[in-house]
Parts: sequence; C-alpha cells; structure tokens
Amino acid sequence: MCGIVGFFAKDGGQAEIGRTILGMLRALGCRGPDSAGVALYGAPDDGRFVVRVKLGDDGDLGSRAHQISSRLESFSGVSHFSTIGAYARFLVGGETDLKRLTEAIESLDKDFEVVSMGHRLEIVKQTGSPDNLEKTYCVSRMKGTHGIGHTRLSTESRVDLSHSQPFWSHGSPDLAIVHNGHITNYHQLRRRYEQHGVRFYTENDSEVVAIYLAEQISKGASLHEALECMLRDLDGSYSCLAATERELGFVKDTFALKPLVMTETDEFVAVATEEIAIRSALPGQYSVREAQVREVRVWQK
Amino acid sequence: MAEIVCGSRDTREINAEIKQAIAAGDRDIVVKDPGARHNLGVAVLAPVRIRFAGSVGYYCAGLSDGPHIEIDESAGWGLAESMLSGEIVVRGSAGNGAAAAIRGGTVVIYGDAAARLGVSMKGGTVLVAGNCGYMAAFMGQKGTLVVCGNAGDAFADSMYETVCFVGGRVGGLGTDAVVESPSQEDAAWLDATLAQYLPKANKRGQDFKKIVAGRKLWNFDKREWKVWQEAL
Repeated sequence: MCGIVGFFAKDGGQAEIGRTILGMLRALGCRGPDSAGVALYGAPDDGRFVVRVKLGDDGDLGSRAHQISSRLESFSGVSHFSTIGAYARFLVGGETDLKRLTEAIESLDKDFEVVSMGHRLEIVKQTGSPDNLEKTYCVSRMKGTHGIGHTRLSTESRVDLSHSQPFWSHGSPDLAIVHNGHITNYHQLRRRYEQHGVRFYTENDSEVVAIYLAEQISKGASLHEALECMLRDLDGSYSCLAATERELGFVKDTFALKPLVMTETDEFVAVATEEIAIRSALPGQYSVREAQVREVRVWQK
Repeated sequence: MAEIVCGSRDTREINAEIKQAIAAGDRDIVVKDPGARHNLGVAVLAPVRIRFAGSVGYYCAGLSDGPHIEIDESAGWGLAESMLSGEIVVRGSAGNGAAAAIRGGTVVIYGDAAARLGVSMKGGTVLVAGNCGYMAAFMGQKGTLVVCGNAGDAFADSMYETVCFVGGRVGGLGTDAVVESPSQEDAAWLDATLAQYLPKANKRGQDFKKIVAGRKLWNFDKREWKVWQEAL
C-alpha cells in the first residue's frame, strides 16, 4: 500500500500547495496510517539555503536548536532560525558546502538529522495521519509552486520520523522523492553505495531511490533521464514521484504493478496513487488516466 | 428515475441505496458526485440502467449480471471484474485490470485502458476506442478483445481461445501470440460491433490485425522446451 501524491501549479506563482497536497493526502490516509509527510517547494529562491533538522523526540528542543545555530555561525552565517514541533528550521546564506554543513550539524548529537536542505525545499513529516501532520505543523498554510506527499503503510522497516517519507536525497539540494512499492535489489544497491562511503539513515528501501537519483543527476543526467535509468537499475514494483527546485516527475515500474494516476490541465498537473485523492482536493472538469507501464514524465517551470 | 447523491456518504450506504432503488422497481438510476470512490455498483444482478455522473474508483461494476452501467468519466482498477452479463461503458479511461476474468457481457472504454486489460477473460467482449497498456489479454480463455488504437507490450501472452483485434500498432507480442488477417466474417462482425458501440472510432474491420494463440503452450512437449523457458 502507501499513498503518494504530487501537485504542480503551472502559472509559477505562489499557489496554496500545502492545502492541495494535504487534501490529496487525507483521501489516501487509509492507504498509509503509519506516517504522513510532505515536501513543498516554497518561497522564491533568495540565494539562502533552507535547512530543516530533526532535533529528537524529547528534551529541551529549543536549546538543542541554539546549539546548532551557534555551530552554523562558523559557516556563512545563520540569518534566521525557528523551532516547530520536532524540527529546527534554519536559513543559511552564502556559498555553502552541503556535505560539510550536514556533518557539522549531525556530529553534534546522534539524534540530529538533516531532513531537508535546498533553496526552496521544505520537508515536514511525522508518524500518524495527515490530520495529525496538519495539527502539528499547519502544512495547509504553506504556499509554493509544487510539492509531493506520502502516507505510509510500513511493511519492512521501523515506524518513526526518520523512516517516514518524503526522503531528501542527502547531498543534492532540493531533490526529494516519495515512493510506493518495493525495491527488490535494495540490499545489493545499498552495499554498493556503502562501499563508496554513502551513509544510509534508515532501513527503508525508498531511501535508495533518493540516493540513486542524486547520483545520476550529479553525473549530469536530467531528472527525466535519471528516472528512465531507474527502470534499468532498480528492480521491483514501484510508482515513484521525484521533485527538484523547478521540476516534478514520476516513473512507473516495468510491470505496472503499482497504481498511479495523473491529470494535466492548463493550470496544474496532479499525480496520485488513486483518483479519489485528485477529485477530493481539486474541483473542476478534467480527465484522469492511469500511467502506463515504464512511463516517465517530468514537468518543469 | 432514481437519483442518488453521494455527498460525503460512504460506499456501503450508496450501494445499499442503489440496491433499494432496484428493489423498489427503479430501472433508471443516476448516481451523482461519485468522486472516484471504490467498489461502487458491485454485484448488480438486474437489467437496470445505472449512470455514474463522474469518475469511479476500483472494482466498479464487478460481478455484474445484467445491468447497463455508464461511467461519465474514468474508472480505476478492476472495472467490471468477473462480470457475467451486461454492458459497462466508460466515457473516460480505465485503470489496470479492466474487464479481468469476465465471463460474458460487453465492456466499452472510450478512452485508453491501462495495463492487464481483459486478463484471463472467459467470455464476453471488450472494446477500447483508444490504446491499451501492457499485457492485455494475458491467458485469455474465451471472448473477444478489440483495441482500435495501439496495444502495449506483451500483448496476448499465453492465451487459450480469446480472439484479439488491434487497429493500430502492437508494441510487442506475448509468448505464443500469432498475428493473422481477419476473415470476411471477422471484418463484418467488427464493422457491425463498432457501428453499434463505438461509431466515432472511424475504423474499418478489414484494417484490424487479428491476434490468436499459436497453441504451442496448450500441451506440454519437452521438445519445445525453449518455448516453455521463455513463457515461464
């Protein structure tokens, strides 16, 4: 099971993507009661990085956030930070080495985890239903151009914030994925990546999708090409959505075993596991169709 | 005519209302605002007309015996699954596994069908105005499957006696699928059937390809081990 959704506003302005993605996720709550999460592409790029860090489950989260903030001052300076729920959110200016920044934060405390980093990407996820996510983080208030979301039914790995989706691809700014399915050569791929020094944060096979796409893109592939390569290199049954700062894309596996439907109008693109998610969040006249086997699509600003 | 408005009600309540309307003698039922809910209009066993004014989710019209069901927009997975008789018409597209294992009746899809259309059909007729996806007619046992547009990969794999007609290109033939030219009777049947159900398809029966089983998998013969290796 699991439910995945994606929305892309074509006019490029600030749409109510939080409300739309949450509405779509609510309709798929029954497909994944374990956790809910969104990756939203918000305010226009002003050159700074948005860094969201999981602070831990308990303790004085405020002082933990300060601890990170003072550490980050040795970088290009933290211009702003806030603490919401289990997360601290930092704005970091200037030229930044993402890997060094991540290591600087995560070496402070074993509970710290950089959940997302990018010029526009904001990932918010937690265990429980989409309604709970809204209660804690008011995601419906967030505006932006596009986003993806996930409701999780855990089959093989732990239920906690870190194992929830969307996954940010550590190392590549703004690249996030949601995935419904199983990657059957996950252990083989993971071993190969770990031999090359890639750190895995979870036991969730979906994490390897983000790492794989980041690797392909760092080698010069477009998102479209990276998703097409996935069909060759990742085995199993999957429907997967990926988003970057300016793109939303999907891929459907080589056996068409996992559901994924899509619609495209002059105003927007919506993709979801089930049509009920699109119909319940987006009123109006449009036609919806199931994605075909091996189909890859990418929409770009 | 009975009018049923789905609103925020759950599927069980809506289906119960459909059954009550049929029991009360209604023969023409409109279900408004279906909102792509799953399991609508399942196991309707009477010759009634039901129109879903919108999209439906998974397994709509499954186990039908006799009704004429129209869906104004698209349908999700498993449309009309295991239908015995009746007519199911989708004006939009259909998801995976449409008309799977039907034993009779007619399924008409104005748009495209996704993967595994008409798998394991045991009778009936499936008509698609657009294209169909991967692995259509897999293990088809009887009945007829017509695709006016293009068919996807692994088409008509491991079939028994289902007969397929494709108006466009076939992405790839499945194991033991064989292409023939349609006979005059086939072409006449196609012309008459399309005129009745898909008059806008604008296709002539003689232009279709006919795809049937090559019968190589019907009986095991170890001398044909290579064919079996490929099939399995």
